[in-house]
Amino acid sequence: MSQEIESRIRAALRPVAPSEDFSRKLLARVVADRPGRPKPRRLLSASARPLAWWLTASLAACLILAVGVRQHLEQQRVQQSGLEARRQVLEALRMTSQKLNLAYQAVKNQSTSLTDEESGV
Amino acid sequence: MKKCSWPIFLALLAPALAWAAAPNPKLAIPEFAGLAQKATESVTITLDPALLAMAGRFLDGSDPQDAATQEIIKGLRGIYVRSYTFDKDSAYQQTDIDAVRAQLAAPGWNRLVETHSRKTRANVDIYIMIDNNRAIGLALIASEPRQFTIVNIIGAIDLDKLHKLEGQFGVPKLDIDLSKTPTQGAQK
Repeated sequence: MSQEIESRIRAALRPVAPSEDFSRKLLARVVADRPGRPKPRRLLSASARPLAWWLTASLAACLILAVGVRQHLEQQRVQQSGLEARRQVLEALRMTSQKLNLAYQAVKNQSTSLTDEESGV
Repeated sequence: MKKCSWPIFLALLAPALAWAAAPNPKLAIPEFAGLAQKATESVTITLDPALLAMAGRFLDGSDPQDAATQEIIKGLRGIYVRSYTFDKDSAYQQTDIDAVRAQLAAPGWNRLVETHSRKTRANVDIYIMIDNNRAIGLALIASEPRQFTIVNIIGAIDLDKLHKLEGQFGVPKLDIDLSKTPTQGAQK
């Protein structure tokens, strides 16, 4: 009895050669199950991309404009200070020469009166 | 180490002492705040070396007046002017100017010209500070019945250039001869 069972089990577990298309199916399955390259994820949808481009361009333009305006204002400020300094220099020298002239006139008048006294006028 | 530090200390001290002993042509001009309130017109000009350099860059070399001004300010380190005009006589006291006059009694300052005009009742005192036969500072005090002006110019003042200045601003040339030693110290 036990021998019969044993032979039946042996018969059931006997090595069986795979079918002809087994390898092909297996390979096909392996290929199908292989994880492919991760596709690059798009942050923005195709419709949002032009908008982003415009935003970036506008930001860059604003930045350039801000730098330009700042430089222009700085240049204007320097120019105003320079012109004011120039005006002050001219005014200071004008006042100095005006007072020198006062001194000159006084000296001249004094020397004239001395000359007049000497010549008996 | 201690022996080594003494020469270094002295080497550092010497320029400091020389600087302290050097005559300083910059006057401490008072604020004259009270007078400024009374004045009908007041002029306050404070030009330090940086402002003078800046002004120099804005002067047009092709213009004769600007060119002369450029030449004058080249060696200057400062121009300080205070001028007050009043609408009536004797609105200010001579004591207001005494603080400045007192500084001109310090060694180094020489009175170059002292004038008094009976006609215009104007007094003009011109002082210069000379160091190594070079004028390094100029002070001018002009007091008129309704106006007083204090001018302090610091730097290498070339009197020849001052002549040019006089010519450029329509003022006749002064016969200033530096070879004649001016009055030493100010007379009060």
